[in-house]
Amino acid sequence: MAASMRATPGAPGDGGPHAAVLAGYARLGPRLVTWGILVLVVVLLGYSLAQLGLDLQRMARGASQLGDFLDRAFPPDLETLPRLWGPAIATVQIAIIGTLLGIVLSLVLGALAASNLTPHAVVGFLLKTFFALTRAIPALIWALLFIAAVGLGSLPGILALGVNSIGMLGKIFAEAFEEVDPGVIEAIRATGGNPLQVVLQGVIPQAMPTLVSWSIFRLDINIRYSSILGIVGAGGIGWELSRASRMGDYPSAITVTLVIFLTVYLIELVTDQLRRRVQ
Amino acid sequence: MRQDRDVARAIERIRRENRRQWLVQGVSVVIIVIIIWWAVEGTGFSLRATFRGIPNIVQFMWEDLLPPRLAATGRYLMPALETLYMSYVAAVIAAFVSIGFGILGASNLVPNPVVRYGSRAVVSFLRAVPDVVWGVLLVGAVGIGPVAGVIALTLGAIGMLGKNFADAFEDIDPGQVEAVRATGANSVQVFLQGVWPQFVPAFISWSFYRFDLNIRSAAIVGVVGGGGIGFALITNIRLFQYQAASMGILFIFGMILVIEYLTARSRDAILGRE
Repeated sequence: MAASMRATPGAPGDGGPHAAVLAGYARLGPRLVTWGILVLVVVLLGYSLAQLGLDLQRMARGASQLGDFLDRAFPPDLETLPRLWGPAIATVQIAIIGTLLGIVLSLVLGALAASNLTPHAVVGFLLKTFFALTRAIPALIWALLFIAAVGLGSLPGILALGVNSIGMLGKIFAEAFEEVDPGVIEAIRATGGNPLQVVLQGVIPQAMPTLVSWSIFRLDINIRYSSILGIVGAGGIGWELSRASRMGDYPSAITVTLVIFLTVYLIELVTDQLRRRVQ
Repeated sequence: MRQDRDVARAIERIRRENRRQWLVQGVSVVIIVIIIWWAVEGTGFSLRATFRGIPNIVQFMWEDLLPPRLAATGRYLMPALETLYMSYVAAVIAAFVSIGFGILGASNLVPNPVVRYGSRAVVSFLRAVPDVVWGVLLVGAVGIGPVAGVIALTLGAIGMLGKNFADAFEDIDPGQVEAVRATGANSVQVFLQGVWPQFVPAFISWSFYRFDLNIRSAAIVGVVGGGGIGFALITNIRLFQYQAASMGILFIFGMILVIEYLTARSRDAILGRE
């Protein structure tokens, strides 16, 4: 498809006897590639469906199950609504504390990882690898691990969000610190400032806009995650969802979904405004 | 005299500006402290309890999770392939469905605001609800397995692609569309020859990117029963086979990195980038 775009329309107009034929081939080539890709996409689709055991029969059964589900799920059970405000608020609170934990840890680890501040290059390298690992493991899986370590409740949720946030914020903070004007660091060092003073008075104030806007962005992400962590038992509204779904109480499950949507959506509006203010 | 007055006024203005800034910062700090206090109260978070939990966490990670059991690699191979198939099927279906949502949501293609906002609202809703939530609902509807996973990923992907496709349609150069229209082409021809070629690069980039994201998403949709490697992982955790579980986490990590690399490479190859 894209290939046809790159093709130059028509052949060079040298007027030779084969020009028209050549032009035809020049146009045919990219078009063949386009069709080739499309055929490949469809063949792979068929193969994947077959591997998943999704034949027409299974799809038809899925469709009727889905219809049955919608039939039973609507209208949503609005009577559960009053019970959901508590968990919805807890979801926001868990996200706030988890983000705060992530910010504090990322400030410390980010400073230790930044190439201009790190005590040793090896420390910086190890920390950056650690950031990549915490980022790649999804928050939900962190929550499962922390539940295994400290039990059910909001603490594993907070820890999961905190650790998962380090992956992103630690990396960004370290990069922001690295971009700080080295003259300022020199100046504070020259007046006899210790490393802590260098970071607190020289580096952090300069990196502040980046730190604040990414922290707000992360809060937004963490609210989304926080709304699902409860599904595995790490606090918040997710628990209500998995409970309703497991008990076959689909009208309530739909209501929970709507509350999750509203929570995520409202917080996104607020954080968008905040970020615009900061910038 | 006059200069002195001007200077005095300037100083006064700067002072006022500073005072205002201090006030804004002070109020912000107070609000943030109140919000944090509120959240700490609500969650019952305590630093002391957290610190007391650290030995437990370290012990768990050190003794239960480590070292990853290499022999468990085998039991993740088939589920990993299943995750791959799920992500691919969902990406392809969502990409084609999203073309429709993209067209309906683009202001330069669909002048009717009701249709446009309706289409964009559906897509926004699909996007705002996390994929895992779709996963839980669909596992309830069609049972545990890849069918639920595929539909959940497809819905999430439409939420993302529908919006970006609509934006991509709105970004096309109207001059080229006009040029085709001037030749007396009908609206289907105008779309195919004027609009579509300009849309293709965005279509390919976003679809590949979403396939990549689907792999990550599929890993966690699997945890709630959507099949694939996430389901294999949660099964091991439920059975307290933590060393096999940490092998699964490493497997997911590696898989995400490899797919990210491969999708980026093949996208660039198709788009003719170096």
